Amino acid sequence: MAEATGDRPAGEQPAAAGGAGRVLVAVYGVFALAAGARAAVQLSTRFAEAPVAYLLSALAAAVYLVATVALARGGRRTALVAITVELVGVLVVGTLSLLDPAAFPDETVWSAYGRGYAFIPLVLPVAGLLWLRRHHQRTLRP
Amino acid sequence: MTPVLVVAVTVTAALLALAGIASTLAGRRIGLLHLWGAALLEVLLLVQAVLAVVLLVRGDRPADTPTFLGYLAGIVLLPVAGTLWARSEPTRWAGTVLAVAAGTVGVMAWRLQQLWEATGG
Repeated sequence: MAEATGDRPAGEQPAAAGGAGRVLVAVYGVFALAAGARAAVQLSTRFAEAPVAYLLSALAAAVYLVATVALARGGRRTALVAITVELVGVLVVGTLSLLDPAAFPDETVWSAYGRGYAFIPLVLPVAGLLWLRRHHQRTLRP
Repeated sequence: MTPVLVVAVTVTAALLALAGIASTLAGRRIGLLHLWGAALLEVLLLVQAVLAVVLLVRGDRPADTPTFLGYLAGIVLLPVAGTLWARSEPTRWAGTVLAVAAGTVGVMAWRLQQLWEATGG
């Protein structure tokens, strides 16, 4: 992968610069965009209706954005933190939205474990953590 | 916004996604087939966007117009972004990147249709 790009010295290449990592960055990018656009619309047009849900949408969007940039540019620790926050977020919000639907009158990306998004929000952080782990093991033995 | 167009977009996006995954499985980069598929998808999306804008100007308004416009603008960028990204990706994963973009277009097309059908006053 690193040889094929040819424009970066080995070992300095970003975390998800090439190969399968690109797919991960692509999916994260889509979710950063989707969650961000959704939060922007919700916050700007009807913030008073469900402030908690909409602020959570904005938080989710920020987390996806940080994870996308960190994965793409090789900030391994930042990516790890962002993806962990994301996993905790989807589990906590998913559980709360099922236990107390009244607190979440409008959908967020993480409601019901991301049911509105084909459960990709639940799968994505797990895939991200697995990828980071595999990549880490590989860099330990160059 | 016609269901026929949404179905055409979905079918094209699905075929493009399959072609992308196929090239990844075959260990190849994307080829002309993918570029033509992405081009066809983009043309369909542009037709859809023009049609939707004409209907909006005529006075048809979906209940959630800002969201509708966001999806409308976002969806036409996806095949372009996906293609540029896939072209710059030198490994077999280029096809999967394109497939992600195509899959997103497929989902967004249906969401657009839903938003359109929820017509406000």
